[in-house]
Amino acid sequence: MNDNRRQILDMLANGKITAEEAERLIAALERNGVGATAMSESDKVKYLRVLVDTKDPLDGPTKVNVRVPMQLLRAGVRLTGVIPASAREEVNNALRKEGIAFDINNVTPQNLEELIEHLRELTVDVDNENTKVRVFCE
Amino acid sequence: MKGEILPPLTATVHVKPASWRFGIRLWLPLFLFWLLLLPLVVLALPFLFAAALFFGVRFWSSIRAVLALLAGFHGTSVEVERPSARVFINLH
Repeated sequence: MNDNRRQILDMLANGKITAEEAERLIAALERNGVGATAMSESDKVKYLRVLVDTKDPLDGPTKVNVRVPMQLLRAGVRLTGVIPASAREEVNNALRKEGIAFDINNVTPQNLEELIEHLRELTVDVDNENTKVRVFCE
Repeated sequence: MKGEILPPLTATVHVKPASWRFGIRLWLPLFLFWLLLLPLVVLALPFLFAAALFFGVRFWSSIRAVLALLAGFHGTSVEVERPSARVFINLH
């Protein structure tokens, strides 16, 4: 237990704050703690890289190298936050119709930070006869 | 990159067709484009505000999100290399 949490519990025990206030303070403490850790860690991951190397029989070899800033992904997720609830439901229904069990309400900045955190250790390699795709973070 | 609040101000584009001896290097002042766009955006703001009210979208949050999205393009680079040509685009 950290000092801040203990202090809140002491204040509750001494009757200085109510249970609701203590709950709010602890929630705020947890929010700040998780946010701060996630930000400092994920800040190290700056870009999402996509490398495609394909050998087209007609056009010959093609190489594509794309670098997408993580900031852009974060901003994109932020943009989903302003979609009205009714539109979100429509999107979810459309996804369900396509057989994609995905809820865009779960796309939150916190979830993205977790995703970025996991992407740091993940490299996706797709390798077939004519095409190689590599996705990773740096 | 962290803390960028402005959209990309310049872009560099490098195009080199295989048949050409030298490629073309362009430095594009995107800030001029944003400056030209600004009056139009200001004029469109009341209509966007009305549309946001009509569709139940949080207006200022949307504006902030769009600005963050534009700012997020800083550092984007795309490089395509084919036997016929090579294209490189970088946003600063």
